[in-house]
Amino acid sequence: MALANEIYQAFEDVVGKRNISQDKGVLESYRCIMSQSSAHYGPFDVKTPLPQAVILPGTTEEVQKIVRLCNKYKIQFKASTTFWAAMGYIGSDYAVQLDMRRMKHLEIDEKNMIAVVEPYAIGAVVQAEAMKVGLNLNLPGVGCSSSVLASTAGWVGFGPTSISMGCASENMLGAEWVLPNGEILRTGSLGAGSGWFNGEGPGPSTRAILRGFQGTTGAMGVCTRIAVRLHPWPGPTFIPTRGQAPAYRADLPDNFKTYTLCWPSWEAWAKGATLLHESEVIYLGHRQFNMFGRDIKAAMIRILNDPDGQLADLNTLLQDEELKQANEDMQRDMQVVLAGMTRRDIEYKEKVLDRVLELTGGWKSAMMQEKDLVDYVLLYLLRLGHKNLNYTLCGAYEGNYGLSSNVYVSTSVMEEASALKDKWAKETKAFADTGGDSDMGSLCIQGGGGPMGWEFFINFDAYDKSTIKGTREFIDETQRWMFKKGLGVDMGRWNADVRRPDGFNFTQDEQDAMLLKWPQPVIPAYHWKVREAFNPNHLGGSYYRTLTPSKV
Amino acid sequence: MTLKDFRPMMERCSTCLNCRWIPFDKVKSQRFGENCPSIVYHNFMTYSARGRFQLAQTLLDGNADYSEAVTEVIHTCTTCGSCDVTCKICRYNLEPLEHNIELKASAVEKGKILPRQAEIIESLETELTMLPGRAKAGRQDWAKGIQVKDLGREQAEVAFFPGCKYSYEEGLQKVARAALQLLLDVGVDVGVLGRRDTCCAGRALQMGFRDEFTERAESNIAEFKKAGVKVIVTPCSDCYHALKRQYARLGMDIEVLHTVEYIDRLITEGRIKFTKTVPMTVTYHDPCHLGRLGEPYVPWAGEEKKILNQVHTWEPKRPRNNGIYGIYDAPRRVLASIPGVTLVEMERIREYAWCCGAGGGCSETYPEYSAWTAGERITEANSTGAAALVTACPWCESNFAKAVDENGQGIQVLDIIELVQKAL
Repeated sequence: MALANEIYQAFEDVVGKRNISQDKGVLESYRCIMSQSSAHYGPFDVKTPLPQAVILPGTTEEVQKIVRLCNKYKIQFKASTTFWAAMGYIGSDYAVQLDMRRMKHLEIDEKNMIAVVEPYAIGAVVQAEAMKVGLNLNLPGVGCSSSVLASTAGWVGFGPTSISMGCASENMLGAEWVLPNGEILRTGSLGAGSGWFNGEGPGPSTRAILRGFQGTTGAMGVCTRIAVRLHPWPGPTFIPTRGQAPAYRADLPDNFKTYTLCWPSWEAWAKGATLLHESEVIYLGHRQFNMFGRDIKAAMIRILNDPDGQLADLNTLLQDEELKQANEDMQRDMQVVLAGMTRRDIEYKEKVLDRVLELTGGWKSAMMQEKDLVDYVLLYLLRLGHKNLNYTLCGAYEGNYGLSSNVYVSTSVMEEASALKDKWAKETKAFADTGGDSDMGSLCIQGGGGPMGWEFFINFDAYDKSTIKGTREFIDETQRWMFKKGLGVDMGRWNADVRRPDGFNFTQDEQDAMLLKWPQPVIPAYHWKVREAFNPNHLGGSYYRTLTPSKV
Repeated sequence: MTLKDFRPMMERCSTCLNCRWIPFDKVKSQRFGENCPSIVYHNFMTYSARGRFQLAQTLLDGNADYSEAVTEVIHTCTTCGSCDVTCKICRYNLEPLEHNIELKASAVEKGKILPRQAEIIESLETELTMLPGRAKAGRQDWAKGIQVKDLGREQAEVAFFPGCKYSYEEGLQKVARAALQLLLDVGVDVGVLGRRDTCCAGRALQMGFRDEFTERAESNIAEFKKAGVKVIVTPCSDCYHALKRQYARLGMDIEVLHTVEYIDRLITEGRIKFTKTVPMTVTYHDPCHLGRLGEPYVPWAGEEKKILNQVHTWEPKRPRNNGIYGIYDAPRRVLASIPGVTLVEMERIREYAWCCGAGGGCSETYPEYSAWTAGERITEANSTGAAALVTACPWCESNFAKAVDENGQGIQVLDIIELVQKAL
């Protein structure tokens, strides 16, 4: 059903002719190709539905008017800014897509260590502006290209610096939220007219409804401005760089250190990670370069650090004995960054780190102590500007064996998970064969310690449809294996019950049928009541999971 | 290649949309963090390199037509190549710029062109210039009074190729004159093509008119060969790119240098000596076609080869062309050697410089958008506190001269040759 002229005109009256389109070619570019970024429920060889119109609001008031029109005409809507994954796209065939890129205002409150951001203030720019006044923010694992607002208000939002800065739910302060019914709710201290400094009050605390743990990905309206907590940055006002693309390198003072830490066993690795949590000396902790795969990571690091390097160099580099030894050395590794507030502070942190390694039988990778690699890794991890390397091998990836759990749980079957992947890669050839273990992830998903979040990267070729299917089958197999092991839901299937394989939202009947099988169906039934209060016309998509109470 | 040949790239683009930003490691501020004029001005995702991949896929699948809006999306790419640089920070097997140009060429083949483009191409065919309204007969007027060899009659080692803009535009002719006179003064064996001098047609290619470009290029290559020159020197960055990269694709094997490279050599060799001080703080704009698109052409023929099951590579290795071997240091060395000149850099420089807005024919086809793009650069230049914006391309200069920054302020625009001339 196309939008009636009257409805299109009503939207156009809100944003102006220049900021709305229903041209087919334009609309088609607002469909997510779900082989590339299904965000943990695919991959599938389909696109999300075609929107009826794309609308670019410029202010909160415009968003409110658009949402009110959607309620008046019963049109679904979905807001997105950086359009990285399926969750940001519409999920029904009578819906409009809101592209929020015109709203990019950013304000740094140095004194209160707060950034107030609109949707299109991405991590890279918020960080650049914050560093000018000695502050920094937690960038989510997806990288600095993501919207700070979206990853904070709408998605999981943990990343390499969560160990020192906390994850998204811990950093969100006041919010300006256009509810699904078109009302504007200002949360926390903002709701009491007291500024942005607190997410809980004085004023309404709605953190659990607005985002919960995983985030509702826009299923409950549109956040137009939020405040995020900023954290101390003991570095220069801009990280100076040298080198040629893509191997840019940081020139930072020596209060910044980075090491690739390695252990002889997963048990020792887990113990080391736990001690690092407890000692609170880590600024940033991430298992990063293993994402390419245990057998090829040293070669990939060499390629990425050579301006003339290419993937075609892999075959030669994989025969290099030194690199083979480096891979062996870094088999169970993680990258950490230490940041000293003072010289004494960095000396203390180095001592603690060395003591942790001593206690756990760990070591620092020699290869990763080369000066150029140190400076490359510092820039990579501190700015998170190369996260699209996720895709570099084949153009598409999906995660499997994804967990957010205690390190002892997740590492205990690491070799088994790795063997499973290795076997499937070799037998099916559906995805890149890089040595089984391609685990990557943050050392922490809560400030100061706690569980870590990780996933194995499965690299497949979106152009070769058989690999999309093969990858999906392998992720299904991983899920079966994880259930058998009592490990719960694989990250590769986190969103399996929020959107259908054809890219559409689930109907309520379909959701009911699934959620009735949950261990505690009363919870999504309660969420139904919340949804009814906030979103009476059910316009926000199915990412906010609800169960019809009468069916419990 | 045809548009269909780009389908693997269309489907392997991972929707990261990094193509909208300069390399993130280089982002110093929110104000000057974005890179693509087309999407910054128009805002719809379709205008990004990612959007163009998806649009092309849609057109190939027959799911959309060449509507007015689609045609506009296709032709508003300035072909500046900044998306290409950012994409290749992480990706080794996508060619967004080549694809954007192919998308234009495909539209042109289907007759989906803009009225202004038709005028420009008609002018190319009839008057051998892409500046409509200019006549063949007046092309050599810029060099009146300069005693220089005519390569139609005499041999010379170096051919000076001014390009249309410097040849015809009154305010810019002085730059071509100064450059040629400088070469003559230091004893370079230089000549001009005289009556055989025509448009390089590089902008035809940028607009998607591949056949028209090829016809003109082949004719020019024949003239250069006939003249027997060893080096072609041009002060125009658009011509530089066309001659160095695109003519090389067609088989021309004559060395091509931008005037700024040649001057840099002459300074290094001690053949140019400055005698005057030019007390001035300037900022330098890297023209796209001299900078990131000014890399040497390396011929390649090969095919895709998968390794490790699904990792796609090229056999043999394919040139990466990610901008790093463009001409960035020569102009900066020249500026550094002029007594009194202080260079202050803008935030977006070298391979991630912001485009002036003239590329892809946009200064003629979409003048408002093009002027806005130039204005963005002037805002950035003015933020440095520089007294002048120096560059090395007549298209950039012309666009900047007409534009103002976000506060309505202009800036003095100079060609680097003018600064050199002041110090002699």
